[in-house]
Amino acid sequence: VKIICYGRLGEAIGRETELDAPAAGLTLATLREWLAQRHPHAADELAGPFVRACVGDRIVGEDHRVAADETVEFFPPLSGG
Amino acid sequence: MKCSTRLAPADFDPAQELEAFLREADDAGGVVSFVGVARPRSRVGEAVSGLFLDHHPRLTLQSLDDVAAGAARRFDLTAIRIVHRFGDIAPRAPIVFVAAASAHRRAAFEAADFMMDRLKTDAVFWKREQGVDGARWVEPTDADRADRARWSD
Repeated sequence: VKIICYGRLGEAIGRETELDAPAAGLTLATLREWLAQRHPHAADELAGPFVRACVGDRIVGEDHRVAADETVEFFPPLSGG
Repeated sequence: MKCSTRLAPADFDPAQELEAFLREADDAGGVVSFVGVARPRSRVGEAVSGLFLDHHPRLTLQSLDDVAAGAARRFDLTAIRIVHRFGDIAPRAPIVFVAAASAHRRAAFEAADFMMDRLKTDAVFWKREQGVDGARWVEPTDADRADRARWSD
């Protein structure tokens, strides 16, 4: 799974990162846990309710099943213009 | 209705934007424009040496389009222009240019005000202020949210 992070998170864990996902995919909630384990300094933020996840430019919920070839983008709260 | 939205990767000239907009909005009776500028100081008064605006390759421009479309629906306008910087921005450099043209002035004034209030909360940007003692990511304030709430959906 390709992961792209913006803003504060992009700085904390890198703009782009990849995780090997099981062939059956995994839920977004699980993906967050995996990421948090790899990046403990960003764990609180990743687990919190304010970082939204997008797949295909649409916000998805925690039970969204992420396919192994999908890209997930994580959005911290927007700053606005 | 002529509507243009653009993301600028480098400094832009607000005077040139206004000039181009006036040419485009040649059938209007009134044009209102606003320029947002990078402040040299943070909200708590510390010197800011620069701003960085992180953005999304598709959704940021989409968010500008949504703000422009919201103004077009709400006000009787003949033209709209939004130009927004991303990337590294020096203090005192323009960040945003917003302009609205209408047959009569009131709609243009209100549309410019509306677009700025929407941009402050809804535009897809992540802002980092570089200060003397480090960098800080900025989030919308309660005042920004209250300004947005002035205009019901």
